[in-house]
Amino acid sequence: MAQLDLKNVTKKYGDLQVIHGIDLSIESGEFCVFVGPSGCGKSTLLRMIAGLEPITGGNVEIDGDVVNQIPAAQRGLAMVFQSYALYPHMTVEENLKFGLENLRMPREEVQARVQEAAKMLQIEPLLSRRPGQLSGGQRQRVAIGRTVVREPRIFLFDEPLSNLDAELRVAMRGEVAALHKRLGNTMVYVTHDQVEAMTMADKIAVLRDGRVEQYGAPLELYNQPANRFVAGFIGSPKMNFLPAQLKDGTLSLGDQVVQSGLSAKTDDPNVTLGIRPNHLTVDDKGPVLFNVESVEQLGGESYLFGQVMIDTARQEFTLHMAGQTAVSAGDQIRLSFDVEHMHVFDAKDQRL
Amino acid sequence: MSAVWSFLSRTHGHRRLSWVDWASYAYLLIGVLVILLPVLWIGLNSVKSQTQLEKNDLSLLPSDFVRVARGTIHDENGRRFVILQNLPDWVLTWGALAVEERAGLDPEAIVNARSDDEYYILRSHLGLVDQQARALIADQGLPSDLLKWRSLGNAAKADLDLPMLLGQLAASERRLLLEFLGEPPFKPNKLIAQILVTAPHPETGVIEQFAVSSITSRSNSIAGRSVDGDPSKVWKLDKDQVQASRIFQPAWRNYLEPLSGNANGVQVNFAQCFANSMLVTVLATLLTLLINSMAAFALSKYQFRGQRFFFVFILATLMVPPTITLVGVFKMISATGLSGSLWGVIIPGAATPAGVFLLRQYMLSIPDELIEAARMDAASEWKIYWKIIVPLALPAIAALGILSIIWRWNDLILPLVAIATSKEAYTIQLCLLEFSGEHVSQEHFRLAMTVVSLIPTTLVFVFLQRYITTGIASTGVK
Repeated sequence: MAQLDLKNVTKKYGDLQVIHGIDLSIESGEFCVFVGPSGCGKSTLLRMIAGLEPITGGNVEIDGDVVNQIPAAQRGLAMVFQSYALYPHMTVEENLKFGLENLRMPREEVQARVQEAAKMLQIEPLLSRRPGQLSGGQRQRVAIGRTVVREPRIFLFDEPLSNLDAELRVAMRGEVAALHKRLGNTMVYVTHDQVEAMTMADKIAVLRDGRVEQYGAPLELYNQPANRFVAGFIGSPKMNFLPAQLKDGTLSLGDQVVQSGLSAKTDDPNVTLGIRPNHLTVDDKGPVLFNVESVEQLGGESYLFGQVMIDTARQEFTLHMAGQTAVSAGDQIRLSFDVEHMHVFDAKDQRL
Repeated sequence: MSAVWSFLSRTHGHRRLSWVDWASYAYLLIGVLVILLPVLWIGLNSVKSQTQLEKNDLSLLPSDFVRVARGTIHDENGRRFVILQNLPDWVLTWGALAVEERAGLDPEAIVNARSDDEYYILRSHLGLVDQQARALIADQGLPSDLLKWRSLGNAAKADLDLPMLLGQLAASERRLLLEFLGEPPFKPNKLIAQILVTAPHPETGVIEQFAVSSITSRSNSIAGRSVDGDPSKVWKLDKDQVQASRIFQPAWRNYLEPLSGNANGVQVNFAQCFANSMLVTVLATLLTLLINSMAAFALSKYQFRGQRFFFVFILATLMVPPTITLVGVFKMISATGLSGSLWGVIIPGAATPAGVFLLRQYMLSIPDELIEAARMDAASEWKIYWKIIVPLALPAIAALGILSIIWRWNDLILPLVAIATSKEAYTIQLCLLEFSGEHVSQEHFRLAMTVVSLIPTTLVFVFLQRYITTGIASTGVK
């Protein structure tokens, strides 16, 4: 159990700055997910917390202590790697023991911890095998077991599920979440998959190009994205974006008025209207005309993909409908917006 | 056995042998012969006797001709030849036997079992004339000057009045003394080993046994004396019809004598050489593996200023032929006082750029995440090296180990530079040089010890060759 604070943390490789002054505060016992597209610096940030990458500027604090100069081994953290990084020449049991033996822990305690972790993760029958003889899911459990036995202050996960197939990923997601519930430790989890982030996190930090775009609870990010990037990144399928005008409190798409009496103000009338595919209704009097180009019927729900015309510009558009639909590719339907779920972003992509 | 046969008789898809099979089997066979024949040749020649080797005998097996003893006797009846049959082997080689070897033998029994000419020949040959004559001189109170008879001047000889002295003795004693003194008509009787051959008798055409001194001759005939008939006459035998029979006789003394340090004319003990080489090879290989793997670990897994420079620098030393640095190495060895000690061979060979390169390339393929995981697991850098890197790089380390063993074992030039001054420190390759001196060349010992020197490297290859292939293959591809 430990609180983790990042204070204006920066990272430079030569002249290339990859982390631009990140401030984050992760409360004790929280499950925090760093999410972002590849190359956004989330793994680098995690490795800086772990002590595997030197910190160029700012402070990493654990329980209020600056740990910038403390080597990885002494920060009291444990990490699950993307490739699991199990020692291939050791048995599962030796893998689990290795860290504890390095800490010169008494043999009985090592044994007790290994047994306990093996039982919890259901890898007891595998203890005498080598990693090469295990399946992907089993290796994942062993990698987690190796961190559990350490009883670290903070668990770090670096895209641990990305090497698993879809079905196993869902199952392991549940296990990691259950592990957090059982142990109650602070955990930092890096992923590029926003579904993982949404399902597991207490708090999500969305990163882009070495900056935190937004930090908050999953639904907070979903309901009130701070900017267009977060709005587009969180939620599946992606939010629809349409160019719109905001003048004197009136939001209009081309010549169609969508909503009036808005209190938001902006200098530049050119704004972006964001609406999630499930916040639209088919309405003959709706403000936009949707050209359906393809239909995905999943039985319980349907997705319609196509384009809408705003003035003379075509915009990609997605519609989510509950249940099944009679609309087919080539049809044209009119849509109206769920005004309370509309998001408006200014010319600089910030939320209004 | 049937598994071996079914393995060796496999065909290329079809039931019958196709041309591909013929070609492959022929290729394999040629390959095996090319490699195996020289080794077999050395092995077989190493147990040939010295005489067989010196005669450039090209026969495959170590063997000797069946020998027969031909004695020459000089007495009042002039010179005569006698063939002596049924003698033990050691009688013929008596002159070459060492004192210890003579200890268990009883020459007197052999001599006393014979009579007449054979008695006198064997008595001379087995050295009993000296012995008995000295005893006679002592017993009869004869002048002790007789013992140095041959070095006396004529006047001194006359003073002793030999005829008078002889007159006091019995006939057999008189002959013994004259043989001892070498006075006419007596001369030292001789016994030599000749080759026993069979050939048609030049006159009768009946196949008979003859004693010849050599079966090689430039002319068409070989001179020989009859074994069964009268040995006094020399017959010219038809070279093409002469047949000598051989007996298989490996000369194990080629091995036993140098290894026990008793080889005639060899000043090194081969067991010592072998032990020295073992020590050098094992220690130098362990050092090489330790130093090279640590260097390779640093060059492959750490990022530090000058990393590229050091790597290129180490590789660049590969381009310098070792002969060029030899003088420098010698100066270094003598400056550090290692000259003449085994450490002078062990230490300079410990770091090999080729080894660093081989291990580094292999270690690059070990994922960095493993090292980071170990760091998270609170492992020290030494522990990461020892517990993670070394076990995972084992195939490459084993490959380098084998190469190092072979390099060190076969190394001649460094020992020559470092320890040529002290014979106790000689490695086996230096010891092999001992057999070819300015005046003598003891090929029989050299061949035998060459075979001994091949044994360790062969064993290493047989038991560790799979590491060579896996190690080199995986370093090459990755």
